[in-house]
Amino acid sequence: MKKTSTLSKLYLTVILLVMYLPIFYLIYYSFSSGDTMDGFRHFSWTHYQALFADTRMISIVLNTIIIALLAATLATAIGTSGALLIERIKRRTLRQNVLVLNNILMVSPDVIIGASFLIFFTFLGIKLGFWSVLLSHIAFCIPIVVLMVLPKVKELPQSLTDAAYDLGATRWQAFSQVTIPGIMDGIKAGFFMALTYSLDDFAVTFFVTGNGFSTLSVEIYSRARQGIDLEINALSTVMFLVSLLLVYVYYRFSVKPSSKGGVVK
Amino acid sequence: MAILKFEGVKKQFGDNVILKDINFEIEEGKFYTILGPSGSGKTTILRLIAGFDYPNGGSIYFAGKQINQLPANQRQVNTVFQDYALFPNLNVFENIAFGLRLKRMKKKEIQLRVQEALALVHLAGYAHRELDELSGGQKQRVAIARAIVNRPKVLLLDEALSALDHKLRKEMQSELRQLQRQLGITFIFVTHDQEEALAMSDQIMIINEGLIEQSGSPVDIYDEPLNHFVADFIGESNIIPATMVRDFAVAINGKEFICVDAGITPGEQVEVVLRPEDLDITTVEKGKLTATVDSQLFRGVDYQIMVHDTDGHEWKINSIHKTTVGKQIGITFDPEDIHVMRKNETQAEFDARLESYQGVEA
Ligand SMILES: Nc1ncnc2c1ncn2[C@@H]1O[C@H](COP(=O)(O)OP(=O)(O)OP(=O)(O)O)[C@@H](O)[C@H]1O
Ligand SMILES: [Mg+2]
Repeated sequence: MKKTSTLSKLYLTVILLVMYLPIFYLIYYSFSSGDTMDGFRHFSWTHYQALFADTRMISIVLNTIIIALLAATLATAIGTSGALLIERIKRRTLRQNVLVLNNILMVSPDVIIGASFLIFFTFLGIKLGFWSVLLSHIAFCIPIVVLMVLPKVKELPQSLTDAAYDLGATRWQAFSQVTIPGIMDGIKAGFFMALTYSLDDFAVTFFVTGNGFSTLSVEIYSRARQGIDLEINALSTVMFLVSLLLVYVYYRFSVKPSSKGGVVK
Repeated sequence: MAILKFEGVKKQFGDNVILKDINFEIEEGKFYTILGPSGSGKTTILRLIAGFDYPNGGSIYFAGKQINQLPANQRQVNTVFQDYALFPNLNVFENIAFGLRLKRMKKKEIQLRVQEALALVHLAGYAHRELDELSGGQKQRVAIARAIVNRPKVLLLDEALSALDHKLRKEMQSELRQLQRQLGITFIFVTHDQEEALAMSDQIMIINEGLIEQSGSPVDIYDEPLNHFVADFIGESNIIPATMVRDFAVAINGKEFICVDAGITPGEQVEVVLRPEDLDITTVEKGKLTATVDSQLFRGVDYQIMVHDTDGHEWKINSIHKTTVGKQIGITFDPEDIHVMRKNETQAEFDARLESYQGVEA
């Protein structure tokens, strides 16, 4: 037992190191006073100062967060209703087919989804910008939420809602006081998944952002193409810390140690 | 007056007819049991009473008013579910208070009623426990408390004890019975355990394939089963084909015996029921029937002895005395141990017949 455990520890350490090394490398150079990652000069906050003085960047970060929060919230509402409705479908084959359609959206490549949204929006004459990004983010977040909520809906016994009616609850009271709390774990997980998907989406957003509007991943991509700028490193560091905080919050408040399904991308 | 009445109630799901024609009356303050095999429609009846489903035909009356389509949340009926159906996000107190809060009762009153209900189910002091800190039996009690705290006119219990182990189950049986007397509420208890039904009820309704086969007090049903199904379902029994000779005489295996049944056409093919505990083993000479012992099983209080008679019918005898496998024995019984059942006789016909000759006898 001892042997395998040291071996597995070693394995895990190596894997984690390989995965985190690029990030730490980035973080390391964000504190360098130089303009490139050729060599560390000396410690300085210059890139952070530049970052916080860069109003365009700040507004893009805010845009990204607003899009993510809005998209995750709306997708959670729509996806949860969807999951509840899917479970209501009596005919097995129909229910199965709806689920398959949902899962196809999950696995199809972002590039294709992005391209089809682009065609869709231009066809409808919708101007590319905030709304097109928001709509597409909501759209690709819904299947994720459905997938997270549906198992919880399935697990919820019919007798619970019956019991609520039996005790005098109206449909709405039974729904809000019994059904929703009963599937809350799934809703929270769906919301956080949607949030992370929206925050770091590049491919879909890339297609549907117009000239005036951008999100973080698209902006970083276009800046990186113009040459390395250590302001990006500073930004990455900040984002890394924020993600750490998010993950902590997620585990602290929504996932009980015993329950499964606590996947954070 | 009857608090609850079913009149020709029908229920089907799609083409699947579950309840064919259900008629009964429930009086206030009694303990009723609906007994029947799995899939016979017991839960369906409860769901119609509670209002989770509506009937496809017939009428359901509650305190004189037809309530066929009345939504569940407006009925003065509460249910104890088979799987308890306690709300997992709420603790014991909040579960029990759920119905009272919906009625916008004052906080103080809620506090009082919940404590009272907890005391009734012997869980005083458990108010602030979480559900996962309770045993199965305790959850069961919380489910009962959650229902009775609303002071319903009728309490429905669907296989409320079936998840409990044997000992706890026996305990809960007498507690439930006691609770019912204490509260004076009508209980309608569903079970497929005939022993439980006999032990707890004032009235038993035996249901099979969507029809009520017989209803009556436990003693009536045990002593005078209406038909083969009931005789077989309730307790252990020997059901033997026989021929009615005349009033108060029936022929088993061609031999004539005195019985206490009358009003049946002479020569009619009938069935007789003899309970295993009413049969005694004696010598071949003294026996009314002769039989050979096939097997013998010790069951703690008595032996269950299987024999077959000279006509090849199997008999089950419960006796505290041992016998020997393979031995020829005599079976003996008293006239009142024989219960004659006519084929396809309804409960009304049976009652009328009983009336006619018991009147004569007295
Ligand atoms: N919602 C439904 N849709 C279709 N069929 C149903 C539905 N509910 C019950 N049934 C059918 O009705 C029949 C009777 O069911 P019910 O639950 O009343 O039986 P039960 O007597 O309570 O049995 P058990 O002792 O197993 O609980 C069963 O054959 C069941 O499959
Ligand atoms: Mg049932």
